[in-house]
Amino acid sequence: MKIVINFITLLFFLSCEPWVETFEDDSDLEAVMFEALEINDSLAYDGGSVRVLTWNIRVGLGRFPWIYDSCGDSVIREKSPVEKTLMEIAEKLNNIDPDIVLLQEVDFLSKRSGYINQIQFLLDNTNLNYGAYASMYKTQFAPSDGLGMVDGGNAILSKYRLENAERIPLALRTDQSSVVQYFYLRRNILKAKIPDLAQDGKDFYAVNIHATAFATDDTKQKHIDKYIEVLNSIDNEGNVFVSGGDLNSVPPGAGYDFCLLDDCDTQVDSLGVLSNQNYHTNQDGGPHLSGSYFNNFPGEPDLLKPLYDNESFSGAVDISDPTDTTKFTHAQSTSYERGLGIVDRKLDYLFTNGSWSSSVTHQGAWELSDHIAVSSYFNYESE
Amino acid sequence: MKHLIKIIILSASLLAGEKTWSSHSAEILEQGRWEIGLFQPLRYGYSNYAEFSIHPGWFFLIPNLEIKESQKSLFGYKTASQYRLTYPTMLLNMLSGDGIGKVIAPEHEIPHMFSFSGSLIGTRSFKDTKLSLNGGLDIGIVLGDLNPISTIDLPLVYHRLGVFYNGWGFHTGIDIERAISGKFEILFDLDLIALPGYDGNYSMENKILLSWNKSRNFRVTTGYKFISGEFPYGKDSRLLPYVPILERWIPIVELQWARNKK
Repeated sequence: MKIVINFITLLFFLSCEPWVETFEDDSDLEAVMFEALEINDSLAYDGGSVRVLTWNIRVGLGRFPWIYDSCGDSVIREKSPVEKTLMEIAEKLNNIDPDIVLLQEVDFLSKRSGYINQIQFLLDNTNLNYGAYASMYKTQFAPSDGLGMVDGGNAILSKYRLENAERIPLALRTDQSSVVQYFYLRRNILKAKIPDLAQDGKDFYAVNIHATAFATDDTKQKHIDKYIEVLNSIDNEGNVFVSGGDLNSVPPGAGYDFCLLDDCDTQVDSLGVLSNQNYHTNQDGGPHLSGSYFNNFPGEPDLLKPLYDNESFSGAVDISDPTDTTKFTHAQSTSYERGLGIVDRKLDYLFTNGSWSSSVTHQGAWELSDHIAVSSYFNYESE
Repeated sequence: MKHLIKIIILSASLLAGEKTWSSHSAEILEQGRWEIGLFQPLRYGYSNYAEFSIHPGWFFLIPNLEIKESQKSLFGYKTASQYRLTYPTMLLNMLSGDGIGKVIAPEHEIPHMFSFSGSLIGTRSFKDTKLSLNGGLDIGIVLGDLNPISTIDLPLVYHRLGVFYNGWGFHTGIDIERAISGKFEILFDLDLIALPGYDGNYSMENKILLSWNKSRNFRVTTGYKFISGEFPYGKDSRLLPYVPILERWIPIVELQWARNKK
């Protein structure tokens, strides 16, 4: 009988992985670290500029008509087209040659993207050597739409060694039932120290964020507030940060209503006028399509103003003209096929408490994701 | 809720291959005796040499039929052959689509397909203990295009449906049943499902069940099932039944009833 009891106890330990990771233990604050198969050890920082890039790579799905974020009807993509897209992303990264890459929507182990460890794949196929990963959705099996196993989130890739990588949890949405919330995303900020880039006693940090897209409450306000708190904390300690990500927020002064552009039932007439029977039918202008409307709570259209108004911070891309389409970084992945162009809003940003130069919005790579990469050169000294 | 019920039906029908009460051995139900459980199929002793089993409640969602037939004794083992035919297409198509509870992506339509399993079971008794060995071949026949990424990558389900994606596989197992005291008995069961060449080519399943036989006509069983195997995402193990939101294992509770037709 003792053997049986010991055996059953062993089984419990063998199968203690939770179905859904809620990241509520202290140990979950640690990020998962990666290294490229072949590391280039010859790099030595000379105090010059550092190229930083942020990119929401949409888990390697490219412009796949995914059911969740486009006018698509598919959920799972085969492994080979995902590998092809990831290889094209790797080639693009090699062409741009950034020193630090902030990635959002990277899959570590998900059925939707062929169970490819995308962090390792990109490290092994680029000039980048080190990686840190923080999951925003980790479940053994999502019981919806045939999604199955998901483990995806944010990653920082770097030519230089990463240390003290930290997963900083962001507030959960409050506009969902508790059951839906249990199986839903747990967004985060990923922060890592890069000791090789430290100068004059100042530690150097990379900070990556993917803020909520679909919340209709004030969760996005909480996410941006937390983001500013993290950046202020680094700045107040006299240290340096390069930061960015998919903030899912439009620049102050930009249009904030994309419901008709995004809704799949929208009709476009010969003059390009949009009409739709699902949204904006009420007297108050609602209802609105979640994820496509950026005025859900007072102040949401100006959510990023504190980042741009902060005298210590510098944004990589000039947003003084919020209608400048060359700075736009996002449109639905099926927008091109629907005749609505390749980009229609800016959601992706870079910030530092140093300075930026030669910023680029890489719209030429639009086919590789539904987001556009943004890169810039960080400099210690202001230009 | 209705999708949850369908998932339970799928799991339970896949569990139908499990052996409980007298089904785990080469012994055949007495002629005229029937047995049924909450999750177990209806078994009927057709003659002293053959028994049939089906899941009556779920038959119209996942048609299935199993026949066990007594064979000649070999090397001191009582033997039986067992054949099972399953048609899961209707249930799987109900589980395909968008929305909560759908476990197959909406872009996949499951074609008509059948699985056929043949097993040989040998049983030998030693005082209070009964030892059963079994092994057999599984064949999956698919009449159409079955997309290889339409799998349900869950422990228990993935390998049971793997025969349709792989075309064939084999299974083997050992069962030890022992009377403990009075009306209690314990069953140790270890099975291997092998799908050579498949992405996730084996699954090992173990269960220990404790049964209280109130009478010949009613019993209660409790225990666990442990699955360990290779999946498209790597090796995985899981203790079942597992409740996700509670994040804990709960014991199997099975009630079974039986009667002898006069």
